[in-house]
Amino acid sequence: MKREAIKDLLYKIADDQLILGHRNSEWTGLGPILEEDIAFSSMAQDKIGHSLAFYTLLHDLGEPEPDIIAFSRSASRFRNSQFTELPNGEFDFSLIRHFLYDNAEAIRFEKLSTSSYAPIAKVATKLKGEIKYHVLHANTWLRNLGSSTEEAITRLQNSLNTLMPYALGMFEPSVHEQELIATGIYPGEEKIKAEWLTKIQQVVAQTELTLPDISSLPPMLGGRAGQHTKYLQPLLNEMAEVIKIDPTAEW
Amino acid sequence: MSLKSLDPRINRMNLPDGELPPMEPKAAFDQFETFEVFARKRDKTPFTYAGPVHAPNADVAFLFAKEQYSRRSACSGLWVVLTRHIMVSPYANDDENIYDSFEVEIPEDTTWPLESYEVFHLKKRGKAHTHVGRIGATSYQEAYHKAKAAFAAEHPAVNMWVVKSKNVLQSAEEDRDMWLTLPEKKYREPAAYKVLDRIKKFKEEEEQKALTK
Amino acid sequence: MYGGGNTFEATKAEDLEQEDAVKLAEFEARIAQGEKIEPDDWMPRLYRMQLIRMIEQHAHSEIIGALPEGTWITRAPGFRRKLALMAKVQDEVGHAQLLYSAAETLGKSREEMLTDLINGKSKYSNVFNYPTYTWADSCIISWLIDAGAIVNQMANSKGSYGPYCRALERICAEEAFHLKYGHDSVVFMATGSPAQRQMVQEALNRWWSQIMTFFGPSDKLSVHTETLMRWKVKMASNDECRQQYLDMYVPKIREIGLTIPDPHLHKNEQTGQWEYTEPDWEEFRKVINGDGPCNAERLGVRRMAEERGAWVRLALKNPTAKYVRPLA
Repeated sequence: MKREAIKDLLYKIADDQLILGHRNSEWTGLGPILEEDIAFSSMAQDKIGHSLAFYTLLHDLGEPEPDIIAFSRSASRFRNSQFTELPNGEFDFSLIRHFLYDNAEAIRFEKLSTSSYAPIAKVATKLKGEIKYHVLHANTWLRNLGSSTEEAITRLQNSLNTLMPYALGMFEPSVHEQELIATGIYPGEEKIKAEWLTKIQQVVAQTELTLPDISSLPPMLGGRAGQHTKYLQPLLNEMAEVIKIDPTAEW
Repeated sequence: MSLKSLDPRINRMNLPDGELPPMEPKAAFDQFETFEVFARKRDKTPFTYAGPVHAPNADVAFLFAKEQYSRRSACSGLWVVLTRHIMVSPYANDDENIYDSFEVEIPEDTTWPLESYEVFHLKKRGKAHTHVGRIGATSYQEAYHKAKAAFAAEHPAVNMWVVKSKNVLQSAEEDRDMWLTLPEKKYREPAAYKVLDRIKKFKEEEEQKALTK
Repeated sequence: MYGGGNTFEATKAEDLEQEDAVKLAEFEARIAQGEKIEPDDWMPRLYRMQLIRMIEQHAHSEIIGALPEGTWITRAPGFRRKLALMAKVQDEVGHAQLLYSAAETLGKSREEMLTDLINGKSKYSNVFNYPTYTWADSCIISWLIDAGAIVNQMANSKGSYGPYCRALERICAEEAFHLKYGHDSVVFMATGSPAQRQMVQEALNRWWSQIMTFFGPSDKLSVHTETLMRWKVKMASNDECRQQYLDMYVPKIREIGLTIPDPHLHKNEQTGQWEYTEPDWEEFRKVINGDGPCNAERLGVRRMAEERGAWVRLALKNPTAKYVRPLA
C-alpha cells in the first residue's frame, strides 16, 4: 500500500514539473528581454531536470525508464494539475503561473527534504537551492511589475484571476493522503496549501494586485486523477513527435 | 508573410498575416541601465569581471546576472554593480603599471569617517578585471591613492576599477545553495558525449558487411 | 553561431586620411605588438565602424540562430536531448547578450541594434534563413553549422578588440558542448535505424550548400581588407576558414557512412586544397537581401517577441536611469 502511495506522490510531482518545464521552455528565444529569456529558459530546464530526478525515483520503484514514462503515456495517465498544462498565453500569464507554482514548489520541497522516505528527502534536499532561485525570481518580478504601470497591473491581475482556480488544483488531495501523512512521507496538500496562501499573500500585499478570494473560487480539480483540459494531449503528441517516428531507436 | 511555421511554438503565437510596416525605432524607455557583474568560481578565487546585464534596478540585475553569468560554470558568489558607480582609471600599456602614472598623495589628516571601497585590477589588456582588495577612504580620489600604496608593488595593473562597497550588491552567504547543483548538469559538458565506441562499432559492422558481400 | 561572408561591406579607404597620424601610428603599433584595444582607447573611425558591424551581425546571428533550432525544442526525443537542446538554444541567446554588450562598448546601444535587425537594416548569418524540416536538420545545424562557427570564432578570438575577445573566449568554451552534442545526435541517427539514417542523410543534403556558403564567397583582395587584417579585425580569409573546415569535418562526416552531396568534392593532393562544386552564390545574394525561405518569418518572429515584450520593459522603466555604455 505504502509503495502505491509513494508512486502516486512521485507521479504528480514529476508530471507537474515536466509539463510546466515544457511549457516554460517554449519561451526560449522569444522572451521580453534578452536576459530574462535566458533566466526563464534556464529555470524551465531546471524543472525538466527535476522531473527526470523524480521519474528516476519511480524507475527505482519498478516503473519503466524515465523516457518511457514521460514520452509514451497518454493524457489520461498523467497526474499533473491542469494548472501546468494550460498554454502560455502572454508573458504575464506565464509569470503569474511561475509565481503561484514555485511558491508552492518551495514549500513542497522544504517538506519533502525531511520526508521519512529517504530517497525523496535526498533529491528534495539537493534541488532546494534551485527552487530558492525560482522563488526569488518570481517574487522579485511580481514586486516590480505588480506596482508599475496600469497596463502591467491589469495584465497581471487578469492572469491572477484566471489562474487562481487552476492553481488551487495543485492541492487536489489524493486517495493516499492520510497514509502519506501518517507515515511521515508527506504532510498532505491541505498543509502545503495553507502555507502557500500565507506566502503568496505576503508578496501580493507588496503590490497593487489583489489576491482573489479563494473561499468563493471552485478549484479546477481532476488533473491528479487523469482528467485534463483539451490542451494536454496535443502537448504530449508534440513532445513525442520525434521519438514516435521509431520508438525502438536510440536518438 | 505566410506564417504557417514549422515551429509549433510560433504557430501558437498567432502572428498576423501579411507585410508588416517598418518597426518604429525603439523608444528610449527600452534602454535600461547596465550593471556590471563579477563572479567567483570558488571561495578562494577572487571575484572576476563577467560582463554586463541590462536591468531596471539592482534586484532584477541580480536575477539576470545569476543566470547569464553563473549558470555555465562553478560559482560560489556574485557581485552586481551599477556601471555608473564604477570609477575607471586610464588604461596603460601592457608593459606599464597604471599606478606609475600618478604619485601617491594621501592627506595627512583624515578627519572624515572612512568609507569602504572595492578595487579591481586588469592585469593585461584583453583579460578580465579581478578583485584585489578593499580600501578605506573618504573619496574615490583618496581610494585611488591608497590603492597605490596598498597594491601597486605587488599587483601591477594596466587598469583599475574602484567602487564604493555599499554600491555592490553581493549575493548572500546563505544563498550559496543556488549554485550547488551546477556540476551535475553534465549534459552541457563536452565530456558527456562519448561516441567513439559507437562510431568504431559502426565501422566494424560496415567492414563486415562489405566482406560478406 | 556565425560565419563570414556578409561582414565586410565596402567602406571607403580614404576614411583613414582624416585620422590623426600620430594616434593612428600608436594604435597600429599597439596591435602589432599583440596588445588588445580596450574601449577607452583612441581608435580610427573605420575600426570602430567595422567592429560594430561585425559584432552586431554576430549577435544577430545568435539570436536569430536560436529560432531554427528552437523549432525542435518542444519535440526533442528523450530527456537527454531535451535538456541538451534547451541548454544549447539558451546558450545562443546568452551569446547574443554577450555580443550585444561587446558592441555596446563601441557606442551603439542594444536597442538601436535590435531596431536595425528587425527593420532589415543589418544582417545576420544567411544560413538561418533556411528551415529545419525535421529533427535531423536541427542536429545537422548543431554539429556542422556550429563547427563552422567555431572555426570562425576561434580565429576572431585572437583579434585585437578586448571586449570581443573576452566574449568569444566564453562563447568558444560553450560551443564546445554544442559541437559534441550535435555530433553525438548525428552519430546516433547515422548509425541507427534505416529510417533515422535516411532522415539524417536528407538533412545533410539540404544543408550542405548552406554549409559551403557559411564562410562567404572568396574574399576580393582590396586595400580595405588588408587594413582590416593588419588591425586584426578580420583574422582569416573566407577561403582559409572553408579549407580548414573541410579538412576537419569531411572525414568525420564520411566515417559515419553519410554521403556528402557533391560528387566533385575532393582534396587535391598536389595543392593540398579542397576542390568542390561552387555553391550557388546568386542564390546566396538573393537570400541575404531578404528573399529566402524564412527571412520574413525570422524577422517577423523577432519583432513579435520585441513588441509583445514592450509592456514589460515599459513597466520596469526607471525614470531616473541614465544609460551609459557598459565598461568592458
